[in-house]
Amino acid sequence: MPLVYDELRRLAARYISRERPGQTLQATALVNEAYVRLASERPREFANKTHFLAIAALSMRQILVQRARAKKAEKRGGAPHRITLDDRNLDGANLPPAIDMLALDEALTRLEAQDAEMARIVELRYFVGLTVEETADVLESSPATVKRHWAMARAWLKQALDSDVHASE
Amino acid sequence: MNADQWARLKEVFAGALAQPVASRDAWLQQACGDDTELLKEAEALLRAHETAGDFLEQPAAFDPSDLDTLAEGTTLGSYRILREIGRGGMGVVYHAYDTDLERDVALKTLPPALANNSQLRERQRREALAAARIKDAHVATVYALAEIDGHMVMVSEFVEGETLRSVLNRGGVGAGRAHEIARSIAVALAAAHEAGVIHRDLKPENVILTPKGLIKVIDFGIAHIETPGADRITIPGVPLGTPAYMAPEQLRGGSVTSRADVYAFGVVFRELLTGRHPLSRQDPAAVPPRFAGIIARCLKLDPDERYESGRELVTALSSDASAPIVSYERTLVGSPRWWWEFHQAAAATVYWIMTWPAWTGRQIIGGATGRALFIATLIGVIVAANLRLHLWFTSRFTPSELRRARRREGTWIRAADWLFVASLAVTGVFVGEDRSPVAIVLLAVAVGATIAFLIIERSTARAAFRNSATPRELRHP
Repeated sequence: MPLVYDELRRLAARYISRERPGQTLQATALVNEAYVRLASERPREFANKTHFLAIAALSMRQILVQRARAKKAEKRGGAPHRITLDDRNLDGANLPPAIDMLALDEALTRLEAQDAEMARIVELRYFVGLTVEETADVLESSPATVKRHWAMARAWLKQALDSDVHASE
Repeated sequence: MNADQWARLKEVFAGALAQPVASRDAWLQQACGDDTELLKEAEALLRAHETAGDFLEQPAAFDPSDLDTLAEGTTLGSYRILREIGRGGMGVVYHAYDTDLERDVALKTLPPALANNSQLRERQRREALAAARIKDAHVATVYALAEIDGHMVMVSEFVEGETLRSVLNRGGVGAGRAHEIARSIAVALAAAHEAGVIHRDLKPENVILTPKGLIKVIDFGIAHIETPGADRITIPGVPLGTPAYMAPEQLRGGSVTSRADVYAFGVVFRELLTGRHPLSRQDPAAVPPRFAGIIARCLKLDPDERYESGRELVTALSSDASAPIVSYERTLVGSPRWWWEFHQAAAATVYWIMTWPAWTGRQIIGGATGRALFIATLIGVIVAANLRLHLWFTSRFTPSELRRARRREGTWIRAADWLFVASLAVTGVFVGEDRSPVAIVLLAVAVGATIAFLIIERSTARAAFRNSATPRELRHP
């Protein structure tokens, strides 16, 4: 577990330091690269890709949450409003709307207490970017079940996050 | 919610989703019966489902721009951070105040977390070195490279003003001003290319118009330097850097030369003239015909068909584009510049003619001495005459390069002149003992040539280049 986590962190740090503003780096790309590396270095430990993905999903969730936490702490520290070079571009990157990673993590923990399998599905679908079919493979379930659970988990989390927003207003 | 309730909720929610959208609510009410708690929960979930859109459907992503930042008012050594002005490939750029030298500066910082990485440090160092090599009024000057409190910091001139982007957004400029701006950018690129630096990210955001009307190109050295593999993790559909201004070979991630900057220049110049990006979907605006050729050549897909470097751009923009190659006629006959050109051509001709009497001299003297003297004369002729012809040609056809050519070739010409007249004079003295006519020619030309290059040429050059007020120089100062 720490090995996968460390590898993902290392890859993430390396890519982030290289990238340009406005460009995002999907977790999927990192997980794939981490798998290729680890599986070639320690074929015995990581021969089972589904097992690896389950670990990677949790690791990726932790990494993203830690980054979000660090960013929030920095904002409290009074960093000024940022103007990135991209803000000045004609057509800024079409990024998906920001998701409050900390609120999501908290809601996901609550969901986990209620329904662990749904939480796993969310980790695999959102934090790793697996398709419904791939998720079903990893969880040894059927695509139809995954699809049903995914729909409910999404609705449940959406509701949880929306009520958070209202509560804080 | 206990396990049973949760299982019930899962069941009715799944059941409702299996129904057509319109009949879901009715189905739910029936399925829940008198369990109002369950109905309330299920209905809320259904509403959330309907408004979820693509919530969580896009896999999680990192935003690489969340690097550590320095807050306003923080001091880094003698620099006080005033505000963040931008982000480069890996660092943050601040407007800061140098409290020692009491001036504004731009700081490009590599935060401690990244400064630990020796590869990134080396890259930042090379960028600073590259940018520091460029010396031009149109390029922001690099002041220092330092390591302060764990940050790698590149300090450079702070350029105050408005970006070309905001000028364009306000409606752009007229063709005359566009030409001026373009020429300044070309001069900056020429200085960079001659220093071996490629900008790689020229775009209107990186061109600043100062309140005094000067043009400065910024982000030399701040521009991303390609590293192997860096381009491979691009995500489809997410723009990388500023593709709109990138040459095709740069977009492909291939090796990039100064010709990629020429391409970006073409895009910027065209946008300046028309107010629109060349690839914009709006109906194409016409480029003034006198610049159409230059722009078309900048935007060639094959890099080899473009101008080679900023220097060629400067030349292209300097020779009046409405009548490109007729500067030949523009030197007024009898003007100082004309006399200077005449002198160059005439001297070259006389030097070459003198190889004939020098050869005769060699036959008369004979032996090793004769041969050595003739070879010395010949070397003088070849160097002095040919470089003079080159200056003459440059003056006529690529006048913008003349200044540089004169500086570069002057010393060689002078050395060859001395070699020529000296060997001619010595040959003359040796021959003088028996064949006086050849000796007289040799000695006379040696004296005449000395006078010509020491006195006459200096006068013509002084008159021709005293200031930029000769007829042609007026056209492109």
